Formats: sequence, structure tokens, C-alpha cells
Amino acid sequence: MAMMRTSVKHLAVVAAIAGAFTLGNAVASRAEDAPAGDPVNGKRLYLADGCFECHGRAGQGGRFNYLTPALAQIALPVESFIAFLREAPNDMPSFSADVLSDKDAADIHAYLSSLPGRRDAKDIPPILNQ
Amino acid sequence: MSKRSSSRRDGAPDSSRRNFLKGATIAGAAALGTPAAANTAISGFPEQRRKAALPGPRLAAADASPPPADPVNQSSSGGDFMVDVLKTLDIDYLAMNCASSFRGLHEAVINHGDNKKPEIITCPHEEIAVHMGQGYAKIEGKPLAMICHGVVGLQHASMAMYNAWCDRVPVIVMGGNIMEADKRAPGAEWPHSAIDPAALTRDFVKWDDQPASLQHFAESALRAYKISTTPPMAPVMLSLDQELQENPIENRDRLRIPKFTPATAPQGDDAALAQLAKMLVAAENPVILCDRMARTPAGMPRLVELAETLQCAVIDNYGRMNFPSRHPLNQSFRRSILSQADLIVAMEVNDIWGSLSDFHDRIVRSSEPRYKKTAKIVALGTRGLYMKANYQDLGRYQDVDLDIAGDAEASLPVLIEQVKRGIDEGRKAVFEARGKKLAAAKLATVEQAKLDATIGWDASPITTARLCAELYSQIKDEDWSLVGTSIGLSWPHRLWNFTKPYQWNGLAGGGGVGYTLPASLGAALANKRHGRLTVAIGGDGDFMFVPSTLWTAAHHQIPLLYIVHNNRAYHQEYMYLQAMAARHGRGITNADIGTTLKDPFVDYATVAKGFGVYGEGPISDPNALAPALKRAIAMVKSGQPALLDVVMDQR
Ligand SMILES: Cc1ncc(C[n+]2csc(CCOP(=O)(O)OP(=O)(O)O)c2C)c(N)n1
Ligand SMILES: [Mg+2]
Repeated sequence: MAMMRTSVKHLAVVAAIAGAFTLGNAVASRAEDAPAGDPVNGKRLYLADGCFECHGRAGQGGRFNYLTPALAQIALPVESFIAFLREAPNDMPSFSADVLSDKDAADIHAYLSSLPGRRDAKDIPPILNQ
Repeated sequence: MSKRSSSRRDGAPDSSRRNFLKGATIAGAAALGTPAAANTAISGFPEQRRKAALPGPRLAAADASPPPADPVNQSSSGGDFMVDVLKTLDIDYLAMNCASSFRGLHEAVINHGDNKKPEIITCPHEEIAVHMGQGYAKIEGKPLAMICHGVVGLQHASMAMYNAWCDRVPVIVMGGNIMEADKRAPGAEWPHSAIDPAALTRDFVKWDDQPASLQHFAESALRAYKISTTPPMAPVMLSLDQELQENPIENRDRLRIPKFTPATAPQGDDAALAQLAKMLVAAENPVILCDRMARTPAGMPRLVELAETLQCAVIDNYGRMNFPSRHPLNQSFRRSILSQADLIVAMEVNDIWGSLSDFHDRIVRSSEPRYKKTAKIVALGTRGLYMKANYQDLGRYQDVDLDIAGDAEASLPVLIEQVKRGIDEGRKAVFEARGKKLAAAKLATVEQAKLDATIGWDASPITTARLCAELYSQIKDEDWSLVGTSIGLSWPHRLWNFTKPYQWNGLAGGGGVGYTLPASLGAALANKRHGRLTVAIGGDGDFMFVPSTLWTAAHHQIPLLYIVHNNRAYHQEYMYLQAMAARHGRGITNADIGTTLKDPFVDYATVAKGFGVYGEGPISDPNALAPALKRAIAMVKSGQPALLDVVMDQR
């Protein structure tokens, strides 16, 4: 029972970080001294390591056991992103450093930051038709 | 002389036939025409017969009695009577894959019944036939019948019967069988007979029977129909003896087709509904949760009336077309409001616990409620009125404060009346303020969905959001009906304006993959006579189980626009496997093994063409999508099925 309580608390803490994924239109501030990732390698890893399976090739989000967040134009700073991957909350798999190094994770982060994200719907007639 | 032996005589002579003729002279003329004699001839036994011992006294006596009657014509059959019974039930279609165990009924349907009510729908797989029935009933509001080869056909039909069972949908399943062992021909008739064929599916039908006489059939057919269509609805199964179908009727005048009267749906107890009405009026933040609530076209307007009277939130689990998607009170994509609710009313929700809990699919599985401790929970539905033990389609036990056994749709008028009675001016003002807040939140949710749908707009593979936006853009001014979606596809309900009872018909029920294509075709069959434009979006994995459904679409000219959500994967399982690999910290690049549909890719448009259906694709370029949709929609509007293979992102 005690263990149960700690794990629920732990989940709540990580979930709070998860909340930071949710994108408003404002771009959240990024850590100044974040290591510069390589978006080209990041894209390769994003596809090879299965990130796209739940979050979409365009970082548009998707659905696993529940709707999964969009990651294009990620708001989470890279350090928090890496920490998140190591001990992910809810049904998100955790990726250890054995399978995904900090450098690889930073590259994925750089790729997500490079994805265009949302657009103004007024340029898109089918969206206006909804 | 039977037809069988005479046709044999017309054939070219062969050595076995020569043996037969030789043997026949000894075996005697009476045996000549019997199929048994013909079989013996083929195996060459007559040569040995000549050496057989002289007949004993019993055989000699048999020889002396007159030969059994062997008529070659009949002017009546049990099958004809069975068709008369089915006609009284107003069953439009009989979906089937042909089989000798029901050849008697089959012939009666086409010749005695003129292939009308029911009309035969030829299906290349029994799972297709039952799934068509599931999709059909949810649009048409009444069941169709299907018939299969009692043992092996029923085995094929069983998964679809399970889906229909979990989905609370009526389907009249029938199967041929030969009850009397001494009547079964050697060969296939033995392995295709059973002493109790329905045993296989008894865990997921509401009732079954194997009538022993035609009068018994008439009564059981009506009983089966009534049981199947009374909430909680479910499939039923009738095993039909082949001899009963085929044999002449001794005295038709002695057979009676009973009168059919449908049973009314069970309504919740008046006092309990009055209590619920009080709770609803007094609550500050009531939320109505619904799943398979709307059973007939009357269901949705009733729920709208209740929600509008209370100006309360409605969360739809989309098991049926319960509530208009754009209604200001529709908060289905704001489930977090459950945490603020002081009263939650679950209407025809099978797994209430699942809807009210956050479950974590982790190494140690855990969960917590989504609602606050003080919230009151009320269940209203027929779920508990009919349960079986083996299959676990029931979810965890949920604590509730009031449990009203009764059909939600049938109970709504009384509930609405009680609610209206309990509202004073003070409450009215509170409700109005509440409704305004919910309406504003709804508007924001829809705008956010539109904005979210723009992410990756020009990407290839095409995003599911773009496909859904482009499709709706082209059908929104038609009389459309969306009857299937690939797994987890929420864009239509986030973006489109669903207002009519037939614009949506729910999901598989039991999660058995192979549902979407045939159930969509069944729904399209129902929509055909109403002139509606039927569209569906289904998974490539789903398609691969039942591709020959397309032949039925072509053969019966059932207009349906079917879009294959081609993510080249059993993607749901791909994600689960990825999670397993990540847990172990190994092989995170290997999860495509056994979960993807590549090497080679499947060309679904070519498959469609092979079955005689218009097909286009694979479409990977997002700019090619709108013109392809236009061509396919034109084809469907001309009365034909059409398939588009769209290479889409995963979800
Ligand atoms: C009869 C049956 N077999 C297997 C499964 C397991 N299963 C669940 S989802 C799924 C993938 C289905 O593929 P598809 O229809 O392409 O949907 P996708 O997940 O790719 O969107 C499978 C195989 C099932 N539910 N039912
Ligand atoms: Mg798929």
C-alpha cells in the first residue's frame, strides 16, 4: 500500500512535467545552455526508435491507450525532455541510456523543435469547411 | 429410380459403372436406384457381393416386403414453411455462404420466396455475413438473418457473433445440421454435423434452439427474433435440421405461424427515475456519460432534451449516435471535467469503471479514479439484465450510489418529465449560466481541434487529420453516414458536425479485428434504400482479414466509399511491442517485426479491382487526395462501391 502511494505521487510529479508538452501557441522558453542537437540525426532516430508510432511523423500527436501529445515545436527544454524519457509517466515507455544516449535524445529534441507545428487555418480551405 | 442414379446413367460408361451394372443384377432391382448402391459401385464391392452368403430369414423377409417408396418429386417442403415464417418477421436479407446443410432452405428462399424478404446476400466468409448483420442492424434498427454450414460455417461466424454480442446488436444466426445419424451420408456430412452445434457459440448468444419439428421451428423463430431484439439485444442461434428443411410437409394445415408481438423495452423503475431527477436538478456539475444509449432514432433527441433542460455536460463514448458532435453541451473531448463532477450518470455504459478511472499500463499496473470522492454515481442501463460467466466483457466492478436497471432510451421520457417538474426559476438561472460556460469551452475545443489538424498538413504519409478534413469537406453537403473508423481515429468526432441518428453507428464491440470492412458494408446495405452516402475509414490490418467483402459489395452493387487507412502496420500492436522493448532496454528498433505490413506492401486498389470494385491508390501525396476523393465519391453516388488506398500516418 505504501509503495502504491509513492508510485502514484511519483506519477503525479512526472505528469506535471508531461503537462509542459501541451502546446499553446506561445513558444515556451528554452534552456539557454542546451546542447545543440542535430535535427537530421534526430529525425532518423525519431523514426527508427519508434517515437513516431505514438507522436506522428510530423509530431502531430496520435493515440496509444489515450490521445498522445503533439511534439512539433516542443515546449519542453531539452534537459527536462531527456529526464522525461528516462522515467516517463503514464503509458509512455521509458528509454534508458542503454538504448538512447543523451546525445541521441538531444538530437530528437532538435528535430522536434524544427518541425513546423500548427499553421493558420485560414490558408487551408478544408479546415475552414469543418 | 432416383435422379442421382439416372444422371449417372447419362454419363460416359466407365469400369466402375460396368461393375455396378453387374452387381446390380444380383443385388436386385430395388437397390438399383439407391445412393448407397451407387457408392458401393464406385468402390467396386459388387464383385465381392456375388460371393456373399445366401440371405438369412430376416433378409429374405425384407426382400419379400414391397420396396420403400422412392418418389422423385415433392410439392411441399419444410423449407417453404420456414420461408413463410421468416416472411412474417419482415427480415429483408439473408447473408450466407452456401452449404448443403441448408440447401433445402436455400432453395426455398429463392424459389418459394422469390428471393425477396429475405433476399440472399452472398458472402465469401461467414464472419463477413455476421459482421454485415451487425453493421446493418445498427443503421436499420432491425436484424437481418444469416445462415451458415452448421459446424464449420459457425466456427467462421463465431468471432463476428462475439463482436455483435459485446456490442448488444441483434443478429439472427442460423446453421444447418443433420440431427439423425442414420440420415447422414458418408463423407462431409459426418464432420459437418453435431449433436449440439450451438454449444460453440452459447457463451455469446442470448438464446439458441434446435427445433425438432416445423411447428417447433415456427415458435422458436419468433421467440428467437423477440429475444434478440429486446434490450439488452444480442445475437441468437437456431440450428436447422436438414431433413426438416428438405422433407415434404405431411399436412400443411396443421402448421400454424404464431403471431409476433415485439416486447417493449424494459423501462427503469419510476421511483428510482424520480430520485435520479432530483439528484440531477440539485447537482452543481452533473455529467452524463453515454455509450450504447441511442437504440432507435428517438434516442438522440431525448438525450438532447434532457441535457438542454439541465444545461449539463454530456460525454459520449461513441458506441452509438447518442448526441450531436457540435452540440455546445458535448464535452466528449474534455473528459477532465469528470474530476469536477458532483454527479455522474452513466447511460448504457458497459465498462463504467474503465470510463471513470485512469489506468496505467505499466510494469506494475495501477489506477486511480477520475472523479472526486464525494461525487455520486448513477448507472442506468440494461447491462445487468443479462449476463454470462465465461467471457469477460464486463469491466471492473464500479461502486455506484443508484443502479437503475432499465433501457436508458425507454426511461428518458419519464426522467425528463421528472426533471422538468423539479426545476424552479432559481435552478433555471444556475443552469443557464452553467450551459454558457460549457458552450464557450466547447467552442474553444472545436477551434483547438481545427488548429491541431493543421500540424503536418503537407506531410506524406498523409496525416489522419488531413484525410478526415478533406473527406468531410467533400461530403458535408450530402446526406452522409460514417459507419466505420480505423482504431482510435477521433478526428471525425472532433471536426465534423454529426446531427442525424444514422450519421454514426459505433464500433466493433468486442475489439475483434476484421469488423470494419464488412460491418461498414452491412451499414451501407441499410443506407442504400434511403439513398444516403455511406463512407468508412478502416485499418489495413482489418482489411486483410476480410478482403473478399469487396466482392459482395460489387456483386450486390452496394454503394460505399471505403478508405483504407494504410499505415502499413498492425499499428496498435506495434506500439505495444515498442513499449515492451523499451521496458527491457533492448531492441527498440526491432518492434516492426511481426507488427508491420511491408516487404511487400499491399496494393489495396489492385485487390479491389480484382474483386470488381473501383479502386485508386496507393495515395501518398496529400495534394492528390482531394481529386481522388472527388472521383471516388462520384462513383459511389452512381450506386457503386469504391475504395481508396490512402497511405496515412499511424494515428
Ligand atoms: C481477431 C483479432 N486478431 C488480432 C487482434 C489484435 N489486434 C488489435 S489491434 C490490431 C491491429 C489492427 O490493424 P489495423 O486494422 O491496420 O489497425 P492499426 O492499429 O494499424 O491502425 C490487432 C492485430 C484483434 N484485436 N483481433
Ligand atoms: Mg494498420
